Amino acid sequence: MCGIVGYIGDKLAQPVLFNCLARLEYRGYDSCGIALKGSRLRVYKDVGGVKELERTAPLLEGTAGIGHNRWATHGEPSQANAHPHCDCSGNIAVVHNGIISNFQQLRQQLTAEGHRFASQTDTEVIPHLIEKYYQGNLEAAVIMVLGDIKGSYAIIALVVGEDKLVVARKGSPLIIGLGDRDNLVASDVTAVLDYTDRVIYLEDGDIGVITANSVRVTNGGTEVSRQESRVRWMVEDAQKGGYEHFMLKEIHEQPRVIRDTLIGWGSLAESAVDLAAMCREAESMVMLACGTSYHAALIGKHIVEELIGIRVRAEPASEFNYCHPVLAKTAAMVITQSGETADTLKATQKLKAAGCKVLAITNVMGSSASRLADYTVYTRAGPEIGVAATKSFMAQLMVLYCLMLSSTDAKASRLADLMAGVRQLPEKAQQVLNNESRIEEYAHHLSGYDNAFFIGRGVNFPIALEGALKLKEISYIHAEGYAAGELKHGPFALLRKETPVIAILAHDNTYEAMLSNIKEVKARQSPVIALVEEGDKTVGKLADYVITVPQVAPLFSPVVNTVALQLLAYYAARERGCPIDTPRNLAKSVTVE
Amino acid sequence: MKQAIILAAGEGNRLRPFTAEKPKGMLSIADKPILQYVIEALAQNGIRNIVLVVGYRREQIFDYMGSGERFGVEISYVTQPNQLGTAHALLQARKVAGDEFLVLSGDKLIEASTIARFVSVAPGAMLLKRVDNPSRYGMVTVEGGVVKGITESPKETEGNLATTRIYALSKEIFDFIGTKLVISDVLNSMIAQGRTLHAYETDGIWLDVIYPWDILSLNGAVLGQIKAEVGGTTERGVFLKGEVSIGKDTVIRSNSSIVGPVIIGSGCDIGPNVCILPSTSIGDNVVIAPLSEIKNSVVGSDTAIGPGSIIEDSVIDKGCVIGGQFTASSGEAEVEIKRVRYTVKVGAMLGSGCNLGSGVVAQPGVVVGNYSQVLALKLIAGRLPDGSLVV
Repeated sequence: MCGIVGYIGDKLAQPVLFNCLARLEYRGYDSCGIALKGSRLRVYKDVGGVKELERTAPLLEGTAGIGHNRWATHGEPSQANAHPHCDCSGNIAVVHNGIISNFQQLRQQLTAEGHRFASQTDTEVIPHLIEKYYQGNLEAAVIMVLGDIKGSYAIIALVVGEDKLVVARKGSPLIIGLGDRDNLVASDVTAVLDYTDRVIYLEDGDIGVITANSVRVTNGGTEVSRQESRVRWMVEDAQKGGYEHFMLKEIHEQPRVIRDTLIGWGSLAESAVDLAAMCREAESMVMLACGTSYHAALIGKHIVEELIGIRVRAEPASEFNYCHPVLAKTAAMVITQSGETADTLKATQKLKAAGCKVLAITNVMGSSASRLADYTVYTRAGPEIGVAATKSFMAQLMVLYCLMLSSTDAKASRLADLMAGVRQLPEKAQQVLNNESRIEEYAHHLSGYDNAFFIGRGVNFPIALEGALKLKEISYIHAEGYAAGELKHGPFALLRKETPVIAILAHDNTYEAMLSNIKEVKARQSPVIALVEEGDKTVGKLADYVITVPQVAPLFSPVVNTVALQLLAYYAARERGCPIDTPRNLAKSVTVE
Repeated sequence: MKQAIILAAGEGNRLRPFTAEKPKGMLSIADKPILQYVIEALAQNGIRNIVLVVGYRREQIFDYMGSGERFGVEISYVTQPNQLGTAHALLQARKVAGDEFLVLSGDKLIEASTIARFVSVAPGAMLLKRVDNPSRYGMVTVEGGVVKGITESPKETEGNLATTRIYALSKEIFDFIGTKLVISDVLNSMIAQGRTLHAYETDGIWLDVIYPWDILSLNGAVLGQIKAEVGGTTERGVFLKGEVSIGKDTVIRSNSSIVGPVIIGSGCDIGPNVCILPSTSIGDNVVIAPLSEIKNSVVGSDTAIGPGSIIEDSVIDKGCVIGGQFTASSGEAEVEIKRVRYTVKVGAMLGSGCNLGSGVVAQPGVVVGNYSQVLALKLIAGRLPDGSLVV
């Protein structure tokens, strides 16, 4: 998981590259580097984030260059392992995102042929291979190299003596940004938005040759035309606008994200038709995703089973890839924010191979998931920069609600209540945000502990998982989400005064059972923070702290509970002084298995 | 002038319940927050460096205004932690202020023409507007184009020139603030020490919201200027007359009649057989069920109104769910705000997130606090605090 950028044009490339890299920091930030092509090639790279590198870098001349944000996969973060990587002569530089699976073998071979390697990375074989094949035409050399390497890649290469960038994509995202007197390449649209809103999404197998005023794309030896798209995202969306962290900004954007989904409900109607068609032919459904999106899938299971009445299995995509599922007459839904999550893409391929129709829910237009799936529904979250997923999760939930409410044959009276209730959700989420200062107080208590449990039942069991995930990933407090009924089968042994339990309640058929669970936990001395709707008279007597959320239909309770738990995690992490937007060892989208 | 400092930290507590959860500048008039009108007026006059002094519920301003890119301006934020007064607010911006700048209120609605001439005057000037009811404003005495003094909310009238609270100043002002909390006091002391403050008049729009029913008059004034623009879908038999603006993804169902000026946001579902009369603003994501009539009212985003409702001269804030047969007709009413009684012609004023059962009847002048619940068939009157439950 890394971010790569390239620039060629009439400007000094260095500041452009740093700016683009800064926008890609969510893809990795343990080390970074740039290579500029002037009269000769100059490389500057080091361990650390883009800002540090920008501060220490000398001004490298040149109007063409490449850059890289690294998230270590092969070899520790170090200056030598940071990209760009060069050949022996120092005339060829390459940045790469992905994994070269046969690099060991290639490396031995190249070493035997006399090439000297400076790093432990898989990537470094690429510049050396280019050197081996280079005879004055970079494109021709890259084509030869692609024949030798196996694995996934997005590559940008440049060589002294040719005024062009050569790019290639297979299995890792890559886009070209079209400027007036310059062109850009990047892993992601966000990187180039400061310079252009015209982009080309490359396909797998594409090789591009890019100069300051031309872009030529070939695939399998023949020239292809790839459509130019206009990006509707504003650059403003990618900035912090007053907030201390992107995560808090993105938590606060959720009422708008919910409203935007509802406003676009009409355009979801078509997808609902596709879904209905899928479900008509199917007897069951699988929902696959990873991380936070997997929690959305678990809630999706409840929504679909309740409103559509079809059997649903929700699984982590990473596990699905290793089981032997029976997929006859099965409709499939995959959920991925980035549309590039490797495990989810692999699962999608497996589903397709088994003949399933697949509907993908993703936040990124033209992403790999949308191109693999039969149908795609886009969430309207806008770019999400904080590594911890917040608004994209909310957008996924809203898409699931709207899709299923459009397809349901639930009783008219119930449906009317749900329809009015769903419209109110932006305001309900806002109401939780208005309670922020109270939640901050509870977070202050929570931040003093090293372990915590989150418990819930029914539709709020996935919320317990999500609440725990948010807390652990940004505050580094060890947290576990549990189905409330499972707590007594083992984890009870861990309950004591130092282990707070966060209980998530809804006024549905799980309420009484949750009250018993709280009593059980209290009997083991654990402090209990309860999340419950306003007006509840009982829970306050049992729990140590009560966070109230506005009343909503139980089916929608994940919406308000999620916002409250996100704030709880955020403020606990802030209290502990954690780097909230860039937690250690994590990257925004995980494009490796 | 290249820079503007907008004071947007205040709540405006006479406007409750509508400001209980948001800064006064974020009150929506004709589907736009007042602060957005101010920012757009500056942008249209070429002022793009904008400092927002924020405080009360500042997140709502962050969420909506962001970095300003959407409005073609660059916004930087300064926080006034406690809202002690306008001069104190301005002082918070000292570090980011240039040598000269405009100062404006984020909660007074203006248009580009209001400040078109004023943006190019030299620092040491104040913009004035002639008003009818001086007791509501800061009144200014002027001699030969120069301000002699400012009197806040005078009991006795001495002319009709009010301060718009829009100033062109140099950073010298910061040295005069000292412990003074209100800008008028600072300016009076500058005048007393021999500084000259020039007076300029404007005849452009300048509107203040002080009481909840002012929202209706502002809404009417702004709607008077809108142009028809129909996005979304209008079904067969829909009758549109006058200036009607409809947002994208909105559906107006058959046989509905809309008489402008009316503005309707995006993603709404209205009708069939709904009648919307001047001067009405409806936000985004609003549902209005069949056979309802809405007249001279403001309906916030995310609200659903049940069938057969009658709503006149009313303000209904965001995220309300209202059952069928809701009646909020207009009439002369006595409304008490901060222990002062006012007689106004008004319908109902509902805070955000309220749930009303079907068949509720609202007495003219009722003020319902945010997140209140009213069961079916109830008569509501007077003033209900936030979170009321009417059973």
